[in-house]
Amino acid sequence: MAAKRPAPAPELRRSVTPWGSFAWGYSDVGADIFVGLGLVLAWAAGASNVAFLFAGVVYVCIGLAYTELAATYPVAGGGQYFVMRGLGDIFGFIAGWAVLLDFTIDVTLFAWSSVDYTSQLAPVLTNSLHPWLHFLAVLGLVLGLCLLNVIGVRESTAFNGFVSALDVISETLILCLGFLFAFQPQLLIHAMHFNWPAPYQLMLGTSLAIVSFVGLESISQAAQETQRPASVIPRTSVALILTILIFALAYSNLALGLHPWHPIVDASGHPMQFWQIFPHNADNQGKAVALLAAQVPYYGALAALYVPVLGAVLLLISSNSGVFGSSRIAYAMSSSNLLPSIFQRVHAVFRTPVISIVFFSTIALIELFFAAAPSLFPALASLYAQFFHGENGLEFLADLYAFGAATSYSFVFLGLIALRFSDPLSPRKFKIPLNIRMRFRGERVELPVIAVIGFIGIFSILLFTLRTHALGRIFGPSWLLLGLILYLVYRRHRRMPLLRSQPRDWRTDQANILRRAGELELMDEYLANVKASDARRASQQV
Amino acid sequence: MLYFRGFLAVVMVGCGLVILARMLAVANAGFAIVPGVLLGAAMIALGIHRISLILRIRKIT
Repeated sequence: MAAKRPAPAPELRRSVTPWGSFAWGYSDVGADIFVGLGLVLAWAAGASNVAFLFAGVVYVCIGLAYTELAATYPVAGGGQYFVMRGLGDIFGFIAGWAVLLDFTIDVTLFAWSSVDYTSQLAPVLTNSLHPWLHFLAVLGLVLGLCLLNVIGVRESTAFNGFVSALDVISETLILCLGFLFAFQPQLLIHAMHFNWPAPYQLMLGTSLAIVSFVGLESISQAAQETQRPASVIPRTSVALILTILIFALAYSNLALGLHPWHPIVDASGHPMQFWQIFPHNADNQGKAVALLAAQVPYYGALAALYVPVLGAVLLLISSNSGVFGSSRIAYAMSSSNLLPSIFQRVHAVFRTPVISIVFFSTIALIELFFAAAPSLFPALASLYAQFFHGENGLEFLADLYAFGAATSYSFVFLGLIALRFSDPLSPRKFKIPLNIRMRFRGERVELPVIAVIGFIGIFSILLFTLRTHALGRIFGPSWLLLGLILYLVYRRHRRMPLLRSQPRDWRTDQANILRRAGELELMDEYLANVKASDARRASQQV
Repeated sequence: MLYFRGFLAVVMVGCGLVILARMLAVANAGFAIVPGVLLGAAMIALGIHRISLILRIRKIT
């Protein structure tokens, strides 16, 4: 009788198609403008379009970097894996831990904003009127998404794909009709000339604008579950980058130059420009796109009914991307011994990382409680005002979101540059343009100029965040410090190097990654490159 | 689906042209027109890029 073979460990299944991959990214990044627009208009005022432009340029650099890395290393880890491979374990952990902060915030922030959009049609959910009801609605959404993700990715991907398609059509329609019938260039120029913000506000606005561009991580997260990732990822990423960039630039220009269909007046009856309804009004900031759509002549009557629903659903699936993303990063970090192996455990039936999903959803709930506390318990509001400049829940979440994104993206740029030098043999089906060729340790390498520019841009946004966000500069670094302590305790417990990296056979790893991804031609090319490099070195030694 | 995507691309080029024309009409405003001009140009570029991709696909199939 043949001996029984041990059953193979369950793996994440490859069920995400090209459209699914785009939808995962779009549902996350595409929804960001629904949250970011109001916040940026509130702070950057007449320079909101410039804030979006600056953040947009940085975002294009980030997008290109992620596209190259995700196509070269199609694994679920995303940013943390690239950084770990390029810079070492501890930096990989820091990048991954920062991304985890972002994804847990993503869950709460977008569920929060989803309820804000719903409140446009159901005013009973308005946070300033009924904070407990608002809180309970967000809580219910987060718990529901946690359950959906435990059940499985296929269901979530179909859900995302449908709503993403609907949103692309709807947003295009709002922008086309808005620019054709409600846009006045003179109003835009007036807003820019007479309402240009102070440098502090511009920095704050720019750091919040990056909130509108967070989520490319989702595509690389889905890389391990995408069919033919090296071919699909570049296609979906480039489409995503351009779509999101144009939407963000278009919305900010339209909002500043919008001639409202229905006149907007202040308390004393003076006419106001559309963007002026956002400063000092958290309720409006949370549903900016719905308010804008309602001001497009004639079409606004219909848009006022369906855009809040569409926004709420899109934000909900963005929140869903947060649950998906955090569990996959934790899965990948655990596989690389950066987090305990419990996060790697996959459910035997659903084949989803159930423990990661539940753990990070719990963190999202803690963040929700902290964001909602001042509105739920008025006694705490004075405490927040004293220590945190009286920031509201939405600003608190956006602060942390900007911090996490800027930190992880800074490391990803460094990781990309390091990998160009340390791993020139991996075939790069997509390579970001503008490179300086040179030789390094006997190999031909290329220094990516765009990654250097992107690093300078995102690092300046990180500095803006630390300079201008009262809560972000306290809680962001605290989250990193807590993570580092946990990391060191875990590594010590496992008797692994604390500050140095664990020895790894990257060559075998890379061949296995490409084989598992079904990219057999790339695997052959990689093995041929390795063989040729070894032969070259051997001949040089002789 | 291809025709629908093509239609969206044409709409995008048209919209970009309108934005560009309206921003250039107030060109004396200086720096303030830059974001709008960039937006119009980006929309035209993306629209043309998509149309060229669609035409290439139609040639293949």
